[in-house]
Amino acid sequence: MSSHSHVEGQLPHEPERATLEGRNKITGFWLFLGGETVLFGTLFAAYLTLRGQVMDGPTPNELFDFALVALATALLLTSSLTSVFALQAMHKHNVKGLMGWLIVTLLLGAAFLGLEIYEFNHYVHLGHTFAASAFSTSFYTLVGFHGAHVAFGLLWVILILLQLKKRGLNTTTAPKVYVFGMYWHFIDVVWVFIFTVVYLMGKVG
Amino acid sequence: MAAANEQTSHRSDVKTTKPEGSKKHIIAFVFSILLTFIAFALVMAGEINTDFIYIMLVVLAIIQVFVQMAFWMHMKDKGHTFAIIAILSGVVVVFTCVIMALFWTTW
Amino acid sequence: MAHAHAHAVKRRTGIMDWLTTVDHKKIGIMYLLAGGFFFLIGGLEAILIRLQLMFPQSEVVSAQFYNELITMHGTTMIFLAAMPILFGFMNAIIPLQIGARDVAYPFVNALGFWTFFFGGVLLNISFIAGSVPDAGWTMYAPLSGTTYTEHFGTDYYVIGLQISGIGTLIGGINFLVTIINMRAPGMTFMRMPMFTWATFITSALILFAFPALTVGLAALMFDRLFSGNFFDPSAGGNVVLWEHIFWIFGHPEVYILILPAFGIISEVVSTFSRKRLFGYSSMVFATILIGFLGFMVWAHHMFTTGLGPIANALFSVATMLIAVPTGIKIFNWLFTMWGGSIKFTVANLFAVGFIPTFVMGGVTGVMLSVAPADYQYHDTYFVVAHFHYVIVGGLVLGIFAGLHYWWPKMFGRVLSEKLGYWTFWTFYIGFHLTFFVQHFLGLLGMPRRIWQYLDGMGFNTLNFISTIGALLMGVGTILFIINILITMRKPKTAENDPWKDGRTLEWTISSPAPEYNFAQTPLVRGYDAWWLEKMEGNSKMTPVEPIGPIHMPSPSILPFFMGLGLFIAGFGFMYAREFGVVSLVIGIAGLVITFGCMGLRSWIDDHGFHIEEEEILKDQGVKA
Repeated sequence: MSSHSHVEGQLPHEPERATLEGRNKITGFWLFLGGETVLFGTLFAAYLTLRGQVMDGPTPNELFDFALVALATALLLTSSLTSVFALQAMHKHNVKGLMGWLIVTLLLGAAFLGLEIYEFNHYVHLGHTFAASAFSTSFYTLVGFHGAHVAFGLLWVILILLQLKKRGLNTTTAPKVYVFGMYWHFIDVVWVFIFTVVYLMGKVG
Repeated sequence: MAAANEQTSHRSDVKTTKPEGSKKHIIAFVFSILLTFIAFALVMAGEINTDFIYIMLVVLAIIQVFVQMAFWMHMKDKGHTFAIIAILSGVVVVFTCVIMALFWTTW
Repeated sequence: MAHAHAHAVKRRTGIMDWLTTVDHKKIGIMYLLAGGFFFLIGGLEAILIRLQLMFPQSEVVSAQFYNELITMHGTTMIFLAAMPILFGFMNAIIPLQIGARDVAYPFVNALGFWTFFFGGVLLNISFIAGSVPDAGWTMYAPLSGTTYTEHFGTDYYVIGLQISGIGTLIGGINFLVTIINMRAPGMTFMRMPMFTWATFITSALILFAFPALTVGLAALMFDRLFSGNFFDPSAGGNVVLWEHIFWIFGHPEVYILILPAFGIISEVVSTFSRKRLFGYSSMVFATILIGFLGFMVWAHHMFTTGLGPIANALFSVATMLIAVPTGIKIFNWLFTMWGGSIKFTVANLFAVGFIPTFVMGGVTGVMLSVAPADYQYHDTYFVVAHFHYVIVGGLVLGIFAGLHYWWPKMFGRVLSEKLGYWTFWTFYIGFHLTFFVQHFLGLLGMPRRIWQYLDGMGFNTLNFISTIGALLMGVGTILFIINILITMRKPKTAENDPWKDGRTLEWTISSPAPEYNFAQTPLVRGYDAWWLEKMEGNSKMTPVEPIGPIHMPSPSILPFFMGLGLFIAGFGFMYAREFGVVSLVIGIAGLVITFGCMGLRSWIDDHGFHIEEEEILKDQGVKA
């Protein structure tokens, strides 16, 4: 009910926690991320089990390219920071700043996704297809699950931007922004393990 | 729901009213970049013991994730008990799975 | 209290009411109905299995159909019958027990139901489509791969379970948040009723176990649909990986099933002994410990896979450890009854019957945990007897206890006790007849999952007895259905506290509960909140707020369509192997429906409606 009594400008400092619905959303999303941890953990376990099975296809060392991974990492890491800025703007009730930083986040995420599509396409031409070996299947599944999460996040942030544009910042839209921020950081955190376990360890041998 | 709402809503308002600065977030960012750079450098340098690199890479990743979760996801702030429980429980399950996977492929 | 967004109360009636409801009590009833329906299907499959095994070398069903029956019986009973019925109880009871007006996410709750339902329907449509899952409920690779199962059976399993798994997962998150954030003032964690605690831990197990299943099913799906190589040894895949992933999910799943039953038994035993639950805090601790250990023992299903002596020894010891918290629970129930003035209502009969039965299942469990001995028991009827003792003797008896206990709260009518006694005795005797002898069949060397056995092996008599028992269980179930049908024709006359000895908050409000549950949120002053007030001579709970308008969530058809979208998508992708692009387009269209509805849900700004003061007062006047 308190969600309806706050008029624009009278928002509390943390509008995302002003209503029970908002707090429920945040608690629930944390739990969801706990579940997602297991999801990616299982994918990592499968990848670690199968990564040596390259059959006739290229090995990780032949396949992966430092520059590409470094660029992708930089993009995603920066987008995580810009989503923090978006949240800070929200806490200052600066809708323009909020939307601006979300758009930057969106662009960086889109660039990351584009890079990944380019990368996959490149690999397929090198004979590293999904069905080539157990290594390739588990690689595409793990990295692809992450990529799908990025893609879903992009659609999500577009929807949030449209809502911010139409309705402004209020106690209904604020939790959505906050939860998206958590999601985006989580994607970044998963990527930290992907570039470590998949790419760097793949390079080591 | 109205009563429950108003009753609990001030609980979170008590916490903070000062807007946080972006300095610490930028420091966290620089730190993350640095850790990433060290990881890349370790691998590119080559000629080092493979097991050592593996361990260092995992340690670096864990530190980086810790920094990001603490600062960017606010897990160090108050009122995140269940967030910590959720993530930690997930990590415990993952840990057992991954250890098992490694245990039985490398031994 | 001026509310800008309040609009006329829109109430739907008839079938639309059920399709659009977000009321946890109605969703609970729908879970119960759907779960009950699948229970009957699974039960029918069980009877057919037993009829086939009644005599040596009989041909009641073909070998292929027999494989389909054992696969679908296990899958249906676990995913589509037991879990939904438990979700039915959670929905119907948890918000009432913690003094909440609703669950945390009413919309998501409805979504959870519909995804479960469509997933279950998809799985069972395989019977009509003519390619039924037949690789056993564990779907071990490589048998479940395209090399050995060319038809669409495994695909139905993979996609049906994936969809219903999504429903279960979001249901679990919903209950976690509900219990964390929605408790009434004074209801601290250590004052929560045992069933609420069990639900809490169960939901946590769902949260951390189901993602592993999601990955396993996705991997198997990729192998089958896109020629992936996860489980294909000829391309470097690993079949043991499937076993690991499946049991990392599968073992917690066992506790997901049994913990709520423990909760129900705790409530029933305490109520009908008219005593506080003995050792409440040790019960809570034991529940948490069982939940934790549940993740550390999965490899005991794989002792004979060849993991080596170290792994086998570790998992063997970890498994034995579980006997400790479980033992704590058994003794606590016994001590709760000790010195109590016990009333043997039907609910309590089931609960008391549960205790020794479950102990037997537990003891054979400890026997199986001894890895060297397991080499003898593995894949024999001894294992079948063991897990039916814990699942039927534990879980199903718990469900029956819960059904008789909470029926008045859910439907406003008390089930016939007389018919209930008949249900109990036929079902209970039938159960032991069926499964007790199977221990010995196993020890004599009868393997599980076989279609026929030869005459003169010494299996004849015991198998015959087992089948008679199964038929008796069927009679018990039919008696229960008759009981429901008879009771449904009676008027809704159940009192708030029909057992007179209710201890928890659900017994302070009318039966069935009004739409908003509590006209005034109650103040909880201790464990067994309602019993406490009764002992102090109070006839009602102390309210923490005056009577005022109550905010309610709006009904919505979107969850139904989101489930339907996944259903369509599942079909499309499944048959892409055969029909190509057309099928893929249908699959994508299904996903568009689901994600489109998701977007719509986010876009439509719906603030719900209010039930006004006059209506609440009127309800109170009529029913008080």
